[in-house]
Amino acid sequence: MRFGVQATLAAAVALTIALAPASAAAQASGTPEEMVATYSSLADGVLALERSEANLVRSIVAVTLAHGQLNLERALSAAEKGETRTAKAAVEALASDVGQLATEGDNAVGAVRKRLLEGGHHHNAAGESQGLYDEGYVIVTRAAKAKLLASSRAIAAMAAAPKADALKAEWKTVEETVAELMKPGN
Amino acid sequence: MAFGRPGRAALAVAWGAAPALFVLAGNVEAVAPAAPPRYRFVDMAPELGLTRVVLAGRPGKDHLLDSAGTGAAWLDYDRDGRLDCYIVNDWLIEGDRITEKGKNALYRQRADGTFEDVTDDAGVGGEGEWGAGAFVADYDADGWPDILVTNFGRNVLYRNLGDGRFENVAREVGLESPGWNTGAAWFDAEGDGDLDVYIAGYIDNSLEQILAARPTLPWRGMAKVATGPFGLDGGADHYFRNDGGHFVDATVEAGMEDKGLGFGFSVRAADFDRDGDPDVYVANDSDPNYLYRNEGDGTFQEVATWTGCALDENGAAQASMGVAVGDATGDGELDIFVNHFSEDFSTLWQGLGGGLFEDVSRRTGVGPPTYTTLAWGTALADLDNDGDLDIPIMNGHIYPQINDHPELIGTYEQRNILLDNRGPEASPMFVDVTDAAGPGFQQVRASRGLALADYDDDGDLDLLITHLDAPPSLLRNDSEVGSWLVVVCEDERGGIAPIGTEVRVTAGGVTRWRDIASGDSYMSTHDPRPHFGLGSAETVDEIDVTWPDKTRSVRTNVPARQILRIKKGT
Repeated sequence: MRFGVQATLAAAVALTIALAPASAAAQASGTPEEMVATYSSLADGVLALERSEANLVRSIVAVTLAHGQLNLERALSAAEKGETRTAKAAVEALASDVGQLATEGDNAVGAVRKRLLEGGHHHNAAGESQGLYDEGYVIVTRAAKAKLLASSRAIAAMAAAPKADALKAEWKTVEETVAELMKPGN
Repeated sequence: MAFGRPGRAALAVAWGAAPALFVLAGNVEAVAPAAPPRYRFVDMAPELGLTRVVLAGRPGKDHLLDSAGTGAAWLDYDRDGRLDCYIVNDWLIEGDRITEKGKNALYRQRADGTFEDVTDDAGVGGEGEWGAGAFVADYDADGWPDILVTNFGRNVLYRNLGDGRFENVAREVGLESPGWNTGAAWFDAEGDGDLDVYIAGYIDNSLEQILAARPTLPWRGMAKVATGPFGLDGGADHYFRNDGGHFVDATVEAGMEDKGLGFGFSVRAADFDRDGDPDVYVANDSDPNYLYRNEGDGTFQEVATWTGCALDENGAAQASMGVAVGDATGDGELDIFVNHFSEDFSTLWQGLGGGLFEDVSRRTGVGPPTYTTLAWGTALADLDNDGDLDIPIMNGHIYPQINDHPELIGTYEQRNILLDNRGPEASPMFVDVTDAAGPGFQQVRASRGLALADYDDDGDLDLLITHLDAPPSLLRNDSEVGSWLVVVCEDERGGIAPIGTEVRVTAGGVTRWRDIASGDSYMSTHDPRPHFGLGSAETVDEIDVTWPDKTRSVRTNVPARQILRIKKGT
């Protein structure tokens, strides 16, 4: 780390000397244009990375939702056939999916988010200070998180004796909540 | 409530619930003379010989390790029928220099109820490691209780040799696991008769990093305090499977990989979903808690988020410290109680059946009284023997710098709290009775560990408490208590406390549940003998002991107010 800082400083000094006009005293001082351009390119990269992060989290949510849809169908099918154990496992897997929608991924994703926070990266810093987002969350708001967690518990409570209508109704709530989060601009 | 509570109305007077009524009545003294407080706890530690100071790093608590504190354990190490206790110790540090390595203490209880320090004779001083918790179990099934000491450094497993001495076999059996080890729980994961163990990891820091640490984190814009846990890497938890006396790290294989690298503090094993095998709950500081559900085939599934016990009612991860498990709400299901950092509720997750939970902290009243304190050791225990589970909570801040800023909430040393359970029909169910709990609960310390036991065999539970930079407290329970029963579960070899044994006691039409656990509270082990408060019942209708191998022992029509021994197979 220290070497990196020293190397950067040395390069900056060298660049400054190289760019310095012969009659420097006669010109107004300012940040060299090349540095501004480099910074601007870097900004493009930083902002693109943040968009990539948001897109990745949207993908995680979308994949989890799709996985949930599959588990719902498995649960409904098993329940219809009277396969109690399979239905129970599918409903629990569905509840787990909805829990992961609430937390934008599983515990492993949580560890990544923690690393980003430790490094000072907050995706929705303004929203966090207003209480709209938990630290480091990208698209799932606190309100949506609470709704999704409630749904995951409600679905889990149906595991022992799943009823198709009740499961579908709860899943509809989940889909609506996620659809709202996934709207462009959110 | 099932046993009737003749003293409730009068007690409300003592606890301040009714003064307004007296003012209206015009004559306080005449209307209702103040009833004596039912609870009374007195610190007997100095008088009984528990005097060794628990060292705690630097005065400024420059690193979180300085303020993490230690646990304690109760055990009858010499099987003389009297409970002894074990207290874990840390080091003294000045700047970046270690000036003293504290020694753990084993206190043997004499026949007169005093304690003698037998640490050196027993050989259990801690091997010079920075200690964390103490977890007692007969891991080698030889009838003698052994002690796992988790450490910042290498863990120590003291194998009881049966002659008053112990030997450290951690390296030999594969449990040293260097790192910042904290809470642990012994349990038989596979039902094969061997005890396995789960050990939580807190932060991944080297000793050099800790010695070099200084308070650099601006806190509340006021003081510079120790950094963390955010900003530091989480330490991984480990699950060790007992393969014939040697422990194999089977964390990944068993599905217990700590993918979130949560800052793990406390661990409790219990059969949360009542399917006949032990599950594992892990309280994480500042991260979602884990619940590893035992799938019955040697593997586990982490289910805390969707079963409702990872996050609080707002969906937020809390800074979890100590944990307790029991049927606090009296509905026959296991509940989970977890303590947290200050300016946050302690949380009671009510078991809903089927392994599902709901945060009922606000509804039951455990939230508001715990908001301002920073809480650690705890228990769900019947401290007044009225038949329901009360909650003692050990408090103390981690930043001594807070004392320089009275505008901030809290102080470094804090008073502990006692929440009295008034029964499921009461609103709130839990009431803060600390003011009327006797001088022991008026102490102001930086408390950490709590281990409960009826050390004096008088039928009520006493509290052994560790503090930072101070000797422990032993709060003798002198409360006015109801009827009781203590059950000593003996295995075939006469050893007590087979971990995972469940005891159900039915009296007055109510069935109460206890289990024998190693790993509870904050890095501590309670009395291995299940204790039951029975209210006014003087006869127990039925005692049903389910041993770890699912065989049962049943007794009927048993007189209360006794310590009853039940041997497996009888």
